[in-house]
This record gives sequence, structure tokens and C-alpha cells, in this order.
Amino acid sequence: MSASVSRRGFFTALSRPFQKKAVPVRAVEVTASATPATPRTAIIQGRFCIALTSFCSVCVERCPVSGAMTKDRGMPMVVADVCTGCGVCHDVCPAPRNAVLMLPRRPTTLTPQPA
Amino acid sequence: MIQRRDFNRMAALAAASAAAQARAQNAPSAAAASNDGIAWDKAPCRFCGTGCHVRVGVKNGRVVAIEGDQLAEVNKGLLCVKGYHVGLALYGKDRLTQPLLRRNGVLEPISWEEAIETISQKILATPDQFAIYGSGQWTIPEGYAANKFIKGGLGSNHIDPNARLCMASAVTGFLSVYGVDEPAGCYDDLDKCDVLIMWGNNMAEMHPVLFSRVIDRRTRGEKVTLIDIGTRRTRTTDFSDHYLEFRPHSDLAIMNGIAHLLIKKNAFDPKFVEKFCNFRQAPKDPNATPTAPLLGDAMSFDDYKAALEPYTPEHVEKLSGVPAEKIRVLADLFANKDLRITSTWCMGFNQHSRGTNANRLCHGIHLLSGHFGRPGDAPTSLTGQPSACGTAREVGTMCHFLPGGRLILNPEHRKETEKLWNVPEGRISPKIGHHTVLMWEKFCTPADKGGDIQTLWVQVTNPGQSLPNLHKLFKAKAGQPDKFLIVSDVYRTATTELADLVLPSAMWVEKNGMYGNSERRTQQWFRMVKPPGEARDDAWQMIAVARRLHDLGHPGMKDKNGRFLFTFKNDQGEEVPVWEWPRYYDLNVDKVLFEEYRLFSRYKHKDLAPYEEYVKARGLRWPVVQQQDGTWRETKFRFSEFDDPYVKKGAEIQFYHSVTKDDKALIWFAPAEKAAEEPDAEFPFWLCTGRVLEHWHTGSMTRRIPQLHAAMPHSYVEMHPEDAREHGFANGESIVVKTRRGELKLPVWIDGRGHPPRGSLFIPFFDERLMCNDITLGDVDPISKEPDYKKCAATVARATAAL
Ligand code: SF4
Ligand code: SF4
Ligand code: SF4
Repeated sequence: MSASVSRRGFFTALSRPFQKKAVPVRAVEVTASATPATPRTAIIQGRFCIALTSFCSVCVERCPVSGAMTKDRGMPMVVADVCTGCGVCHDVCPAPRNAVLMLPRRPTTLTPQPA
Repeated sequence: MIQRRDFNRMAALAAASAAAQARAQNAPSAAAASNDGIAWDKAPCRFCGTGCHVRVGVKNGRVVAIEGDQLAEVNKGLLCVKGYHVGLALYGKDRLTQPLLRRNGVLEPISWEEAIETISQKILATPDQFAIYGSGQWTIPEGYAANKFIKGGLGSNHIDPNARLCMASAVTGFLSVYGVDEPAGCYDDLDKCDVLIMWGNNMAEMHPVLFSRVIDRRTRGEKVTLIDIGTRRTRTTDFSDHYLEFRPHSDLAIMNGIAHLLIKKNAFDPKFVEKFCNFRQAPKDPNATPTAPLLGDAMSFDDYKAALEPYTPEHVEKLSGVPAEKIRVLADLFANKDLRITSTWCMGFNQHSRGTNANRLCHGIHLLSGHFGRPGDAPTSLTGQPSACGTAREVGTMCHFLPGGRLILNPEHRKETEKLWNVPEGRISPKIGHHTVLMWEKFCTPADKGGDIQTLWVQVTNPGQSLPNLHKLFKAKAGQPDKFLIVSDVYRTATTELADLVLPSAMWVEKNGMYGNSERRTQQWFRMVKPPGEARDDAWQMIAVARRLHDLGHPGMKDKNGRFLFTFKNDQGEEVPVWEWPRYYDLNVDKVLFEEYRLFSRYKHKDLAPYEEYVKARGLRWPVVQQQDGTWRETKFRFSEFDDPYVKKGAEIQFYHSVTKDDKALIWFAPAEKAAEEPDAEFPFWLCTGRVLEHWHTGSMTRRIPQLHAAMPHSYVEMHPEDAREHGFANGESIVVKTRRGELKLPVWIDGRGHPPRGSLFIPFFDERLMCNDITLGDVDPISKEPDYKKCAATVARATAAL
């Protein structure tokens, strides 16, 4: 990704899930990634994720934190050390059963197993 | 409100290709029909032309669950993200539930009687200035009823479907190559091919379940080479072995380059060509006869060879930007008869001001190299709409067609149709009606300036967003009180904005229906829930107006024997007045209309089976032919002796509707040409428009589904990072995209989902708040009359004022 390009910029323009009314097109300050009360981290539950069968990558596209998510042969992966726990990936996941779990961050486990 | 928990739980069960299912360790779907009071039935998905089947779970009169249908060959239990949520398309909060008439600028509720009366009076006032604008989302019986009503009743051919904007070039391509429309192959080719070439075709997003069928082969360890030939990197590119990026509009040069090399290296298939092909080029005088552009002029093989002479790999590289080396690789693939090659295309070829030629050339390289007629060897077009093939093309709801592949211009065809409709000879007008772009141009032009369409009835489509160059072709209607726009739809759309009369329609499983998908597969479903409020079936609306006109004395509404055109009898032989809404479901109107329409299907060997066969099946691919033992057998590979019952024994391959009447297909030569509007100093960017995975076309349904809306909440413009840097745009910044037709303010997405090359922009068209068709050009292919949405010249600027 080129240096002049901020992921956050695009995120701010597109990051209002579930709004019924028109989403404002103008770019606004990033506020969504305010730190939640308890530190959290996102975990992709592979069995619900439709990335491989439906070519979904919404979470990766919309994660506002550069480097917090990667794709491995089409499947999204959370880099727990970088993830801020903002929950955007959870909010935008369109899988029939939400494939993103937000779990309290446990300092000792960097890559917790899906429940 | 729908029981979301149930919905999700059930839908989740379906997240299951073989692979996904193994991961999830889900029970097979039969388990879903458990004892929680949910009744299940089958239906094709409401959205795209792939034509997946879903199982629909209904409880207390509402759709509460959706899952992929494991019995369906198309999708084998799998769905894409849209399909999983298709049930929610019914339950947007703002469903239209009452007829609305515009009075003093405001849409006010009226009764159905008033609505039907209003339409009837409008038609009676200027019957020859009334037009119907229909849809590839019409069910087959709906399209058939509309076609019969206007062509067989009103004696006018002013009917055209939105498929004109999407499949028309594929139709003219098939017709001018094989003499009959629609692909010879089917989806089975995708399971068998060694090489899949996707021509300007982002299958991963537009036909996701088909694409996963291919990717699944890789997962199983099979080798299949994917080649993506496109003008921007997409999600399909991520999965492809080769990506060839070409300069917009130069795809014809690439195909000519392949043909050039095949001949130069003597690597074509002389036996196949000798036995099964003739050569053709554009006619000297395209206006000699109306069909001249479709038939072309004969050319010898030597002339063909000479015409291809300039298309050396180096010259093609100059025209297209694709390295000469890669053109050689492509030609080598086609030269290898041991490989099975399938080509797919969709809007990249079709929405092209040389779309017919692009289609022809693709068929041409397959025929020239003999990559045709074996499983896995096929040139196959994909459709965008669920019934573009079934309703628009087969039923012939276009301004120049009659049902079953017949033509308005052919007196014999008119006579046959009149006979089947039992209407007096001469009832069907010999004059071709207005095609889509012309229809809207005429509707938007004042009567005294030659605008000869006064009343226009739109069903199941949203032209206020999907027509190109909207200012000219749609918005100009505003402020012309003598122009009357009728819109049947399920939600308010950009089209209802200008409507004078809005009719609330039943949708999908709120009515009986039949669709025909991309691979000639005809599918059937039953009504499972009631439509909301006073919403009613589109076919009922048409029949009710026909009946009112009948009662008002319009002679066209009667057949030769003085009976109403839509006279239906129940099993007891009693006539049922289906135009009275409470009686509409006293019998299965769909079945009656389909059985009547079925008789039309034999002429072009597109034989359809009886209705009941479709009730049992998850769709059947025509020609469906009855066997000795009475069973009905579908056809997977047309024109091939081993599968198509209509091919003569020993013929191997027979193009039995050949244009040249000698059982041969036509290989066309067509030159690479410049686009109608190319980037210049003032407008230095190419602008391309298209679709995204999460939304279906203009988004009127999918934008009301929370999961899909959240995943893709609004439109954007994709741009290359270097271009953005040069202009000083930050990601997400609102910028202005401007063309000679207007401007649009929207956020720029850099390194987003798609990656256009330098000097190129892409805008999706699903968002009614950001309508890219305000600025598209929409010049049409001269043969198919399909507009080009993929190319025009644009410029960008920083948005000065906040929106
Ligand atoms: S929680 Fe936020 S930072 Fe973490 S992966 Fe999801 S979107 Fe990215
Ligand atoms: S958004 Fe959900 S379904 Fe889509 S890739 Fe991410 S986790 Fe998977
Ligand atoms: S939208 Fe198309 S690919 Fe997706 S489930 Fe429906 S028919 Fe299948």
C-alpha cells in the first residue's frame, strides 16, 4: 500500500453499518476505534466464515488498523498483537452466522483457538 | 419482524460446499426440516443469473429460514452472501402496499380499481403510443402475458426488457454465429475444463457460486488454469494463474491476435473448420435489409486470413497493452487440442459498443481451433439476471421478437404466432417496436418534437437508476405532464421518483413463478407466503388491465372466436375470472400460461417439458425431450451428437439452425476499433461501471438487507494509488468525477477491492444516492442496441464544498 494512502480514511467514509438513512459521503474524523472498556480482540470463526465459498473479504477491507488483518489464500486472519479490538470487523461481517467473535484479550494467548 | 435468530440459525446450516460442510461438521439439510413448525419448499434464488436453488422455510406466513438446496446441481447446497439473505429481501420496512397516484406532485393512495381504470384509459387514449418496459426478472409466465397482451392484443411491438442493457449483444452474437440464441454448453463445462478464460468477467463477485465450483476443483487437487483477461484487477484476479490487462475496448484486437497466430502457425483445426464452419464479415451495405448486419457477407478463408494479417502479436501489443508474449501463450493454448478450454464472459463483452463483434470473435476462436462441442470446450456467456434467458430471450419480450425465437419481421413467424394465440391474421404488427434506449428517448421527448411514446409501464426493474446517461434518457421526463409513467415494484426506487402511478407488486415466493438461468435451465416455484398489504402479482396487473380494456370494448382483447385473450378454465372446465384478484389463485395461472407458451418452444428446438416436470426438478436444461419410456431428458451439450437428441446420427456436430442452412456455424471477422469516447487532455481517465458482490444491480432489494448494507454501505470510486497521489487525494476523501454529461461526488477508494490501472476509474452502480449513470455515455452497439457502460472519458477533481 502506498504511503499516501491511509486505510483509515476510507474506513471513515464507509464505516456506518446498519444505518437506515443515507450514509454521509464526506470523510469524517476517525472516532470508531475508541478503546473499549475491557481490551478485546477479534477472532475469526472459520466454520462460519464464508470467505472461501462466497469470496467474502469485507472484514479485511474495512478493518481500520493497518496490519491487524491479513488474508491467507482468501481466508481472513486477525493479527492479535495489532488488533485494537474496535469491533468493526464484527459489525460488518455479512455471514449468515456472524463469523467474528470479540473476545476479552488475554495477554498470554496471542492466537486463541475458536470457541 | 422476521425471526432473525431462526433465520440465521437455519441459514448457517447451509454454509456448506462439500469443503465448508466438512469444516463445519454440519448435518445435511434434511435435518433442518425438524419439528419446529417450519414448512420447507424449493425456489431459485431471486438474485443473479447463476440460478442457485434455495430451500425456503416458512412459519406463520413468513419466510423465516433460507438454506442452499443440496439437491440442486447448480449450487449443491452452497449460496453466496446475497443468497443466504435472500429471504430478507421481502421484509424491508418500506414495502409498497397500496397503489399510489401522483396528484399535485404527491403520490397518494388510490384503490386498485382506480389504478386499473387509469391505466386502461391512458392506453385507450393513445394505444400506439403505449409501451411496456419489462425485465429479465419477470417470471416466464409474466413476460409471456405481457408479450401476448401488447403484441397479440394491442397489435403493437413497443415492449422491451432491461435485458437490452445486459444480454442483447450476447443474443446477436449467438444468432449470427449459430442461428439460434443461447449457449451450447452449460455449467458442467466448468467442472471439465483444463483452462478457464474469463473475458472481462469478474466471476468471483458476479457469479460467486459458479466460481466456487471452479475453485472447489482446485481444493480437490484437480488442475485448472484460470486466466483473467480484464481492465482492472478484481477478486477474480486473486485466484487466477494469469492476469492479462488490456486497454479498454481492445479485447477485439486480442482475439484477432489469437486467430492470426492460429492461422500463421497452421495451428487451427482445419477439419473442424472445413466440416462445420463458414466465414463471414460485416456487410458492405448494413442498411440493405433489416437483417443484413446479422447475416453479414460471406468471405473466403483466404479473405479471412488476409483480414487477420495485420494482427501480429506486436501490433496487438500496441493496440491492447498486452505483451506479445502473452498473446502467444493464449494462441498456444488454443492450438493444443488436448486441452479443454472454456471461455466465459458477461458484461465486459456485452456492454460494449462493439459487443456483438466481441461475442462473435470469441465464438470464432473457439470454432477456428475446434475447442467446441466436447465437455469443457465451450464459449459460454453468463447472464446477470435470474431470467434474462428464460423471460427476455426465450419468451421473446423484446421489440423485434415473438415467443420461441421467432421474429416480428418474418411473416411466417407472425402467422404461426397468431395461430397459437388464436387471434385474427394481421393482428401482430409487422413493424419492430422501440428498443430500450429509443423507447426512453421517445418517452422523454415532447410529443410535438417526435416523442411518440406517451404512456410507459415499467415492471420489475429500475430504469431510473440503470439506464445510461440518465439526464437524457430518464430525468428529462420530469416536467412533461402529458407523459405518464406507470411503475410496478416492491419498494420505492429512483424510478418511482418520477412515476405518475405506482403499483405495489408481489415478489419472489409471494407468487408462483418460473425463471430460466444462464445455462438454459428452466426453474419453477410455488407461492409460499402472501404479499403485504394490497400488493399483487405483476401478471395479474397485466391481465386485469387487459380485461378492463376488453370490457371497455377494445377489439384486440378478444381472440378469433370473440373470447377474452386470457380465458382460463379450471379442471372442471369452468372459466375462472382471474382478473378478479380474490379469484386469481383459484387456479394456477402460471401453469396455464406456461403450458400455452410451451407450444412455442419447439420451433427452435428449445423444447420445454410439461409444467409438472419442473415442479419435481431443480430445473431442467432445454431442449427437454421425452424418451421412449415417457420420461423427460434434459440436454447439457447442444449441437453435439453424444448428447443433443436433435443432432443427426453420425454428424458428430450439427448446427441445425445454421444461418447458412448447411448445418455450419459462422466464423466472423471484425476489426478492432476505437471506443466512442476515449480519454483526452480534458477528460484523461477511462471510467468503467459495474457491480459488487454484496448488492444485486440497483440495490433496491439488497440495500434493504441489513447484513448486505452493512457490508457495502455506499458507493465509491476506485483509483490507482499513483493517480491519487498525483492529485493529492487521501483514501476516503470525497472527490468529484466529471464527464461531458455531468458530475458525481463520491469517496475515493484506493487499494480497495478492485485495482484499476493508472488512468482508469471504476464506480459501482448499486447506490441510488450516487448514481453513476448520471455521467455514463451509453453509446449503443449498432447491431444489438445495447449501451456501453464500461467506457467513457472522465476527469477528477477535489471536492471543494462539503456535501
Ligand atoms: S477488531 Fe478492529 S482492529 Fe481488530 S481486526 Fe477487527 S476491525 Fe481490525
Ligand atoms: S466478513 Fe465475516 S464472512 Fe466475510 S471474510 Fe470476514 S469473517 Fe469471513
Ligand atoms: S445471488 Fe447468484 S450466486 Fe448468489 S446465491 Fe443467488 S443465484 Fe447463487
